[in-house]
Amino acid sequence: MIEVIEVEKSYGRKKILKGISFTAKKGEITCLIGMNGVGKTTVLNAIMALTPINKGKILIDGSPLDKTALEKITFIPDTITMLPKMTIAEAMEFMNDFYTYWNQERANELLGFFRLNRKDRISSLSKGNAAKVNLLLGLALDVDYVLMDEPFSGIDMFSREEITNVFTSHLIENRAVIITTHEVGDIEHLIDKVVLLDDGLVTKEFSAEEARENEGKSVIDVMREVYQ
Amino acid sequence: MKNYLKLVNFEFNRIAKLFAVLLGITFVMQMIGVIVKSRQYLNIINENVFEAMMSKAQFLEQVGQLSFIDIARSIWFIAPIAICAAGIGFYIFLIWYRDWIGKNTFAYRLLMLPTSRLNIFYAKITTILMMIIGLVAFQLFLIPIEMSVMKAMVPDEFRHDLTVNDLLASWPELSIIIGSSIGEFFLYYGSGFLVVSILFTSIILERSFGWKGIMAGVSYSVLAIAVWLLPLFLQEFVLHGFFYPIELLILEIIMGLIVLTASIWFSRFLLMKKITI
Repeated sequence: MIEVIEVEKSYGRKKILKGISFTAKKGEITCLIGMNGVGKTTVLNAIMALTPINKGKILIDGSPLDKTALEKITFIPDTITMLPKMTIAEAMEFMNDFYTYWNQERANELLGFFRLNRKDRISSLSKGNAAKVNLLLGLALDVDYVLMDEPFSGIDMFSREEITNVFTSHLIENRAVIITTHEVGDIEHLIDKVVLLDDGLVTKEFSAEEARENEGKSVIDVMREVYQ
Repeated sequence: MKNYLKLVNFEFNRIAKLFAVLLGITFVMQMIGVIVKSRQYLNIINENVFEAMMSKAQFLEQVGQLSFIDIARSIWFIAPIAICAAGIGFYIFLIWYRDWIGKNTFAYRLLMLPTSRLNIFYAKITTILMMIIGLVAFQLFLIPIEMSVMKAMVPDEFRHDLTVNDLLASWPELSIIIGSSIGEFFLYYGSGFLVVSILFTSIILERSFGWKGIMAGVSYSVLAIAVWLLPLFLQEFVLHGFFYPIELLILEIIMGLIVLTASIWFSRFLLMKKITI
């Protein structure tokens, strides 16, 4: 389980996170939703120790962030994390070289799933294909936790559909997924838990299924109530 | 260790083109220098000995023999060394900033690698060191070839032959780059390694704290260099020659090791706890 406990973060004098807390369990897709600049990416960066927090704690399976804890997580940012001159094959080779948990079979499966050409250079990829390569590199790691930052940002409808299909596949099964997105509509039916962020705080945390079944509300309905 | 070596290999492959360009510039410019300087000297021989009918003895008395040191002191020889030094100086910064700046977000991948983040620091500094030693080794390899070219162009009686050691002895500035003994080599390159580690720590400070980090980086660099050179300052201004040269050298080595350890420890702390994407 990933536990984010009373996390605070400031950039200069601006306090972005004012003590947010939530958890993400294995087998669940947790969606962080909030307006631009609310600190969604900062939360993911903080979980990966890519930005220091001012206060609070982040625990992975009960342990603080250290090398062992971080090895259990894969982070898929909204930008490509490989050198532009690399081909997809070289990027996969790089991952295979460094990561013990790299699963080549799964990587090949994802390559076929997304219909990517391993000889293509990263710099020549469209935004949609770059997002798919990012997903490939992240999901081919056999780890328990997956963080995804805006996987649908700026990409076309068909690419979005392909990426959405990943969420219903065995590629995500039994993992804890934390995803930040603006395009809630695309994955609304797949989300287990929603964490709404506003003004540096968690304004509402709820189960998407319970909201649907008990209150007859979609995630977007709840968002409207909270943000408008 | 395995991941460190993989990172070194990866980093070195990334500089391979720049490294090859610097080697190429050095080779081409210095060879042109040898040929141009030798031909200029041959023209002077032609004008004086064959056209103005000056005797060889008189010519040698007035103009003197051509020595490799004359070529080595020319712009053709010094400029590529300066270009390589500037290239390395530039690369000390580029090796970090290229992973952060612009569209390239490779820093994400580097910092997420399942290895100690200090290995990134070690791999980058090793790459710089390999680049420097590679260029120096190439220069050492090139000098005898250049001497042979000069020998092939200038007749024996007009030439003063030198060995590489003679060249170093007669040109102290070059011995800073190459080192005239193993001890000197380690001293100069150890100092260079220390300076690079201080600069790396300053760069990581900037990457961690932004504008405030620039001030912190500059302050850290000044402080680290002051601590490192403290025995020299004390010897010069307070103790007025109290230490024997060997004692001063040992003190400098100890202070250098302290500053190096502090830089590595501080960089590790920053990379683990403070670095920001």
